[in-house]
Amino acid sequence: MEVNLISSASPHIHSGSSSRLIMADVIIALLPAAVASVILFGTYALWMILVCIASAVVSEFVFNAVTAKEQTLGDLSAVVTGLLLALNLSTNVALWQGALGACFAIFVVKCLFGGMGHNFANPAITARVFLLLAFSSVAGGANPIINAGVDAVSSATPLELITQGSTDALPALKDMFLGLRGGTIGETCILALLVGYVYLVARKVIKWYIPAIFVCTVFVCSWIITGSLNLALYEILSGGLILGAVFMATDYVTTPIHAGGRMLFALGCGLITVAIRFVFSYPEGVSFSILFMNILTPWIEKLTRNRPLGGV
Amino acid sequence: MALFTKKISAVKVPHHKNTAAVASVVAPPPPEVLIPTNMQSGDACVPIVSVGDKVKVGQVIAKAGSRNSVPLHATVSGTVTAIEPYKLTGRAAEAIRIQSDGKMERDPSLAPPVVKDLDSFLQAVNDSGVVGLGGAAFPVWAKLDAIRKNPIPTVLVNGAECEPYITSDHRMMLEHADWIKKGIELLKEYLHSEEFIIGIEKNKPDAIEHLTQVFAGDSAVRVMPLESVYPQGAKQVLLYNATGKVVGPGQRLASLGVIIINVTSLAMVGRYFTDGTPLVSRSITVDGSAVSEPKNIEFPIGTPISYVFEQCGGLKNSPRKIIYGGAMMGKTVTDLNAPVLKATNAILAFDEKDSSKKPAAPCIHCGRCVEACPLNLNPTEFSHAMEIDDEDRRAEILNREQVSLCMECGCCSFVCPAHRPLAENNTAARGFIRKYNAAKKEGGK
Repeated sequence: MEVNLISSASPHIHSGSSSRLIMADVIIALLPAAVASVILFGTYALWMILVCIASAVVSEFVFNAVTAKEQTLGDLSAVVTGLLLALNLSTNVALWQGALGACFAIFVVKCLFGGMGHNFANPAITARVFLLLAFSSVAGGANPIINAGVDAVSSATPLELITQGSTDALPALKDMFLGLRGGTIGETCILALLVGYVYLVARKVIKWYIPAIFVCTVFVCSWIITGSLNLALYEILSGGLILGAVFMATDYVTTPIHAGGRMLFALGCGLITVAIRFVFSYPEGVSFSILFMNILTPWIEKLTRNRPLGGV
Repeated sequence: MALFTKKISAVKVPHHKNTAAVASVVAPPPPEVLIPTNMQSGDACVPIVSVGDKVKVGQVIAKAGSRNSVPLHATVSGTVTAIEPYKLTGRAAEAIRIQSDGKMERDPSLAPPVVKDLDSFLQAVNDSGVVGLGGAAFPVWAKLDAIRKNPIPTVLVNGAECEPYITSDHRMMLEHADWIKKGIELLKEYLHSEEFIIGIEKNKPDAIEHLTQVFAGDSAVRVMPLESVYPQGAKQVLLYNATGKVVGPGQRLASLGVIIINVTSLAMVGRYFTDGTPLVSRSITVDGSAVSEPKNIEFPIGTPISYVFEQCGGLKNSPRKIIYGGAMMGKTVTDLNAPVLKATNAILAFDEKDSSKKPAAPCIHCGRCVEACPLNLNPTEFSHAMEIDDEDRRAEILNREQVSLCMECGCCSFVCPAHRPLAENNTAARGFIRKYNAAKKEGGK
């Protein structure tokens, strides 16, 4: 028999995991929220999702082609970025604005910093913040097309209502949970987001405690500050908290690598969110908090190094 | 004993213990053996035979080198045909080639050693030629010699066999518990050890049951079932999981009053004291997708691996990779004439599909390597450090992150979703830091 042997370093077997499979899992976990967004906000939500994904994918393709780099679309991370960004925008945002955001996320935040694994901030969040600063239509949210008995004239989000003190106008907690409230297309349906959370935890893609610590921090602090359990519940069901906690505070690339660091990161996100919501009276704190903690990540890493077994 | 609740568990690897249920067999003698003089981790042996000499099985053909070495014995009867240069994993040495006469005639002078004290006991263990048979190849006598410095109340007998595919220790525990028992009695008598823990992964319930029965009347011996996680059999991991102790930086395991000995090594010492047979042969697991008939089979040390495969129904499916040892830590070998070594517990042959590796993608910082590392190291830091051109800066990070603790178990590479060669990089980093620190020490004087 012809024997042509190769030589290679150990180990000689692999677990079979891959970056692509992980990204595929994230996409699967986002699907319930994507479906809910179309049900709640209509076909415009679907168009927003498709446009953002297409823009992200094309941006990455063009960047790699122009800079003569190997194509990396196969790892699916551009799809995740596009989808996440779309879910973070409301139906008040024009499709071209969404496309521009996705392009910014991939081109500036990801590719210019060296591509997959090298960006210091979450591309989708940074793009959302960029759009927020560039266009006033991005702030706040829009009401779902399904009438939930709330005052349809007011397009104020629950957080804006709380800030204004008009707590009587808040939708019922059940409606908050199902997504029948104003907001971005993907953030409102908590039920769908929790399904994604359970899936990601079960698939061991994310650690359960990162979103849990983030959300609990906001809950406990809100309860203390407002003195109302009811309002604290509204606080955690409002805004982009659940979406951000499950899908963005758990982003590998832009968060710490050790368990301790990840806990600290989640705690920091929660505290900053509360500070922005209450101290600065600015309704949307989640995006800024995650972005801010992304920037602190290298310092958190230094604080939370493991002590090796048998080491010093 | 320290209080501890959390056991170290690194990764779950596929077991592939295909050969566990099959009794091991003895191969007919090969036509020729090639016996390298540096199969043990210490100094190479010095040949004392000449070309043309007739030798018999068990006859000493090379005396031990000066440091941490053991003598070599003829493993077949026949004629010495060459003493030739030989390169084994980078270390150049010699190898003695013996043409077999097919008779496997034993050296008539072989007899169980007569020992009366620690000195003569350690000498006899030295004479047996037994080294760490799980892969480390450190002479057993040198390990036991630590008793001269401090008492060793605890002996951990390593029967974890956490590597995929390998079942040679498993079969040894089932088939030769008498030798293991003899070995334990010897350590009781001459090392005055009081506690023997035989650690066995739970994927070997028959071995756990068998040894529990064998040692039922002996309160000093405890069979400890261990979780089937890799690398359960690694020194630091087994020590911690069995006793809660940790070997500190620069510390020797024996200074904690513990030694760890591979179950087959102990059995081979027991065998020498039972019937006078030194380490001339060993059972190895032959398996993998390119092997026709996987099995455990005993060969004289020095048997060419081409002959090993012949005795296992030959190779199939166009083999692309042949490995000495396990799938996680084994070393590839590209020469089919390479010999079975003392520490070779398995020879695996894989087909094209099982040999290929996916190309490395960028690190996504997922932290799975950090989580998988049984020693809590951070392989991504080592990777980043090795990309730094400034050697001082690189060394600073590697020293701070304590790369030298890495035992190259391969868990990090195994779990990496980006298929990065982390373990390989760790090896390179360890090599670099060893040289760098040695040079610094030199310069500092």
